[in-house]
Amino acid sequence: MLAAIKPLQPIGAKEDTMFRQTVHGFLLLAALGLQAGDTVKLAITGPFTGGSAPMGASTRDGAKLAIAEINAAGGIQVGARKMKIEIIERDDEAKNERGALIAQELASMGELAGVIGTVNTGVCMAGDKHLQEKGITKIICPAAGSASMTQWSKAGVKDLSIFRFAAHDGIQAAMVVEEAINRGFTKVAVVFDSTNYGVSGRDDMLDQIKKQGNKLTVVAQEKFNIGDKDMTAQLLRAKSTGAQAILIWGIGPELAAVSNGMAKIGMKVPLIGGWTLSMSNFIDNAGKNGNGTLMPQTFIEEPITPRAKSFIEGYHQAFKVGRIPSPVAAAQGYDAVYIFAAAVKQAGSTDTHKIKEALEDLKEPVKGVIATWNRPFTKWDPANVETHEAFRREQTVMGMVQDGRVVFGNPADKARLIKAAAGTAPAKPAAAKPAAKAKTK
Amino acid sequence: MKRILLLRGAELIVFALLATIPLLVVSPYALGLLTLLAIYGILLIGLDVTVGYLGQVNLGHVAFLGLGAYTAGLAVTKLGLGMAPALLAAMAVGLLLGGLLALPALRLEGPQFALATLSFAALSTTALNELEGLTGGAQGLSLDRPPVFGHALTPPLFYWLCMALLAVVWMLMRNLLASQWGRAFEALRDSPIATDAMGVGTYRHKVAAFALGSGLGGLAGGLYAFNFEYLQPHSFTYDLMIILLLGVVLGGRKSLWGAFVGASVIVLLPNLLSNRLLFQIFSGLGFAMALASGLRGLVKKTTRPFQALAPVAAMGMLVVGGLLVENTEDWRKAIFALMLFSVVVGLPEGIMGFLALFLAKLFRVPHAPLPEPADLDAVLPARAADGSPLLVLDDLKRHFGGVKAVDGLSMTVRSGSIHGLIGPNGSGKSTVVNVISGLYTPSGGTIRLRGAGLPSGSLLRVAQSGVARTFQNLQLFGELTALENVLVALKGVYRSSLPRVLFGLARAEERRAQAEALALLDLIGLKDQALARAKDLTYGAQRFLEIARALARKPDLLILDEPAAGLAHPDVLQQIDIIKRVHQRGITIILIEHHMDVVSELCDTVTVLDGGRIIAEGTPEEVKRHPKVVEAYLGQPPQTDISGGAAPLPA
Amino acid sequence: MDPSIIGQMAVSGALMGLVYALIAYGFQLTYATSKSINFGQGELVMVSAFFSLTLTNLGLPYWLMVPGGLLFGALMGLVVERAGVRLALEQKGEGWILLTIIIGLFFFSAAENIWGRDDRPFPTPISADPIHVLGVDVTRLELSVAVGVFAIMGLVELFKRRTLLGKAFEAVSADRDAAELMGISATRTVMLSYGLSGSVAALAGILVSPITTVGPTMASALILKAFAVAVVAGLDSGFGVVLIGMFLGALESLASFYLGSGWREAPGLVLLILALALRPTGVFGKATIRKV
Repeated sequence: MLAAIKPLQPIGAKEDTMFRQTVHGFLLLAALGLQAGDTVKLAITGPFTGGSAPMGASTRDGAKLAIAEINAAGGIQVGARKMKIEIIERDDEAKNERGALIAQELASMGELAGVIGTVNTGVCMAGDKHLQEKGITKIICPAAGSASMTQWSKAGVKDLSIFRFAAHDGIQAAMVVEEAINRGFTKVAVVFDSTNYGVSGRDDMLDQIKKQGNKLTVVAQEKFNIGDKDMTAQLLRAKSTGAQAILIWGIGPELAAVSNGMAKIGMKVPLIGGWTLSMSNFIDNAGKNGNGTLMPQTFIEEPITPRAKSFIEGYHQAFKVGRIPSPVAAAQGYDAVYIFAAAVKQAGSTDTHKIKEALEDLKEPVKGVIATWNRPFTKWDPANVETHEAFRREQTVMGMVQDGRVVFGNPADKARLIKAAAGTAPAKPAAAKPAAKAKTK
Repeated sequence: MKRILLLRGAELIVFALLATIPLLVVSPYALGLLTLLAIYGILLIGLDVTVGYLGQVNLGHVAFLGLGAYTAGLAVTKLGLGMAPALLAAMAVGLLLGGLLALPALRLEGPQFALATLSFAALSTTALNELEGLTGGAQGLSLDRPPVFGHALTPPLFYWLCMALLAVVWMLMRNLLASQWGRAFEALRDSPIATDAMGVGTYRHKVAAFALGSGLGGLAGGLYAFNFEYLQPHSFTYDLMIILLLGVVLGGRKSLWGAFVGASVIVLLPNLLSNRLLFQIFSGLGFAMALASGLRGLVKKTTRPFQALAPVAAMGMLVVGGLLVENTEDWRKAIFALMLFSVVVGLPEGIMGFLALFLAKLFRVPHAPLPEPADLDAVLPARAADGSPLLVLDDLKRHFGGVKAVDGLSMTVRSGSIHGLIGPNGSGKSTVVNVISGLYTPSGGTIRLRGAGLPSGSLLRVAQSGVARTFQNLQLFGELTALENVLVALKGVYRSSLPRVLFGLARAEERRAQAEALALLDLIGLKDQALARAKDLTYGAQRFLEIARALARKPDLLILDEPAAGLAHPDVLQQIDIIKRVHQRGITIILIEHHMDVVSELCDTVTVLDGGRIIAEGTPEEVKRHPKVVEAYLGQPPQTDISGGAAPLPA
Repeated sequence: MDPSIIGQMAVSGALMGLVYALIAYGFQLTYATSKSINFGQGELVMVSAFFSLTLTNLGLPYWLMVPGGLLFGALMGLVVERAGVRLALEQKGEGWILLTIIIGLFFFSAAENIWGRDDRPFPTPISADPIHVLGVDVTRLELSVAVGVFAIMGLVELFKRRTLLGKAFEAVSADRDAAELMGISATRTVMLSYGLSGSVAALAGILVSPITTVGPTMASALILKAFAVAVVAGLDSGFGVVLIGMFLGALESLASFYLGSGWREAPGLVLLILALALRPTGVFGKATIRKV
């Protein structure tokens, strides 16, 4: 019988951690919701163990970096006083049941200001309804398929407390299709994994092909399972139909298996797909076969702006890594925290409902590492999911794998970002080093 | 009465407490956990039927959870059914598919069974994922909890529903498992051959047990669907299966309370792991427990050193790891593994098995009193022994490849006689018995009982025709008590239909059965040890018990396969006495024996086999002097060409 | 469909099937002496591969790393035998099923934390560039799997026939009780078989890793098929696993080509259930007679 309020691990108030842990541990049934305090309680959830851990953990660590910076500067100005952010960390293990239970737990906490996190669509589908029921503000970050938002418009929800901070699959699919058209291809194979993520990616891509005037013919649709290592069957079928490019949607090592399988059967066509192609488990395992692979990115680990430089260096130093496991996830986690903090400041309260309203109408621009966010969200309209989506086409660039790193696939994007950053005041370097230790290698 | 009060009282208190929780606690999280506890409780009770009672490692239970969940989900979304029919459908699918899977899995034991169920689970996940048109595939299936009688089910109401179902399942299973059915499941685990030979069909019971467990899995799946309202095929995989096994093994096999404790562990474990201090406290407690029980075992010499020390080492690793590792959640699986390992090795009965013994001592819970033994004349009425031919073998043959174990045997056993069957090792005696009792199908020839053909090649059908046997290598149901061993075989008492058994309306019958069984135990002198487990009896007592168990079949013909083998002299005398008393009740006996004095003392007629053929037949005295017999036994060089030394044959 | 594609699929699948066969061969070794198999054999494949990767990263050349990996596999096999199998065998129970699953779980978690959760490439001097043989593309890497599989199976068989220790192994396999009476320690022979089986698993890991990458979950798909191969062929079928392994690999490859790749696992599973139902001793297994 345990409340298991696992407090922030290393940041900020550490002194009474052990004591509080004990108290909470033993007083579950009655004590839930009694906690009072002068902090902004922010839950960070996601898969920190298991297959999608690189994304979940990078988001968490990016968020921790932002929180450490904010706390080191004294905290968020809430009304008259400054309040520090307290992290409540929960590992959903990428399992729907855990996600549902964690959401129930978070929903029953008093004074929870908001939630940031989740990678897996299923976890959103199973858990977010509990948060929405209580009107708890959640920013889905760094990923999750389209269904995580469209479920609310389908249900005709009038007032929604769930936001998404991710280059949604619609944008990504549009870019992937656009890239294929721009390169003059007419016949493509669509390859996707058998999870929710892969299947909705396929649907988005097919949808975009139609929207962009049916200039591409899908000559093969091939599926693979998580754990598949041999993609010969799928690729041979794609090859035999004369596909000029492979549009792919999946996660992790299986993508590398596709890339290596293409080399094996001598299929020399470009691989274009979702942003997960930038993850280290693709890049490392594909090796030289991965070169030239294209994918939309919200952030590229190149210190092209001062803000980006300080973020990348701060992350490397704090978590003792030479390369961020998933730069996109880390940068999004980082920016999501800043956007959330701005909403708290504007609301002048830690009340999650007021924060939600502030998020829907942020007055001041928020300077993030990905972009400067001007009014990222607006009032929820069930007919238009984009009202609760922060990312637009312009925050997303095409990345390309080159010799073990992701670089800008399109030099124009790079120039645009440098110019945009120069137009704003130079960002202050990160003030504090978070004490968190590296979770991922 | 004290026992009933304590047991039922504990159940009542726990369920009453659980029922009032929604009135006291407003936290939806706690309520969510408790709802899950009820669902997993049902699921684990189902799993325990195969893992505990059948004693098989079942890796497919998770598939039934998934199939049940999807059935309920589809029933609601596609067919628009209400909650009750959806749950029934979920359970029916579990029952049906469980029965279907049991058909091929039937002949399998141990590793093969585990593999078959594992494959089934993998296959059903694949199917759920690939049948996109039906299940929505990887995209998942969203559903809404349908209202019941026009009322939306709020979380507390749904919680009550789950708890009520758990209570019902608990009650029904308690009645079923305490009945002849539950005993048959356990008998099946300990010796499938003897189960068949005692007229209890292994086939039927194995399928029934597996289907029942799977049906409960399906029911739990239905509740799971309505609890989470969103399903994805990948929720029902090997990872969850391991956790379910952890629950059953940790809680304690063959115990409803064990399933309940196991479900609590499963539900609370993630919380335990996410709190470091709490984890350290629990691992410390575990270590202390392992140390205490290990030392106790070593001092009392009841356990092997490995059994005592390995759990201590495993729990020690847990304690040290808890201090060293920064994030215990990262090591979740290793922690499961260490806990499971300690329990499987050091505490095979699980937490509840251990606690039950402890509590029984603490409260001095007596065993339910046994009835007075019934009158033996009523149990085994004396029958007329008219000397007419009872069993007639005609040109019976059984070949194994080129080996002619039984080669054209013709023999008549007369009603009321004790017919001895002797011969040197490898002469085919045991093969004859195995052919008659249906373990082997004859390669040729006929067997007739009272003039009618005896079914061939089926232990079960032979047993049901009135032939009972004992086994040379004991085939007792070791985990069952002496009384239960006899009860399993008891014929003619259990008549109640399954629903009556489930609702606990067959108690009178059970008392009557116990009285009869006690009468039989009295006959062999084991009445006072009725409640001892068969495997704890002395070797002699185990041999006697085999006879009592066979007598419970109330047979016309009793085949005793070397009943005195390995017995000390006083036990041999007692065995002779027992056989005489059985004979006095008019039961015809075929006696396979090596001890010539036993044969001389008991048998009316003796048939001598060598090389699968009869070499002599007559009274014991005649046979003893027969030159061929002397030669076969003493192995003098053959003066005439008879058999020339038989090839070694299957015993 | 183009026959060259069918050929390509079949060859590519059959070569992969040899890996299943190798792991299945590891099951046979322990089954012969103890009638038990390690349900956590996949994890043994995985930790041995990780260990070999570490050796490589420490700068050991490939041909020195291989024996190191095999030794580590043998050691882990012995751990499984001591912790998971011996007690259950002494008690003549089937506790080993659960215990070997549990030990596998522990290995899995340890690997996750020691080596990380990500899949990693496994360097090898053998080229992965395709060569064209009889209208079919194969890589030297895939051919190396075939060579390795046959080499180790040949070596183990030679060991069993030509050495005293190997003969003891055969004696215990044939009749455990009789061998004990002749003064052969059954316990030590079982240890030997688990050590050998561990080495075979390690070799499977080393051979397959350059193709599949190394990661905690690398063997979870392999092992299910290895089970299928072992059971369909029969747990005492000797080289029968090679035939069944190649057959299943090719079948699976063709099934994913024609039925759709989601059904890739299905033929193996269906075959396994069918084999268990129709012929529990396997296609090449010896039928046994029930004795009482």
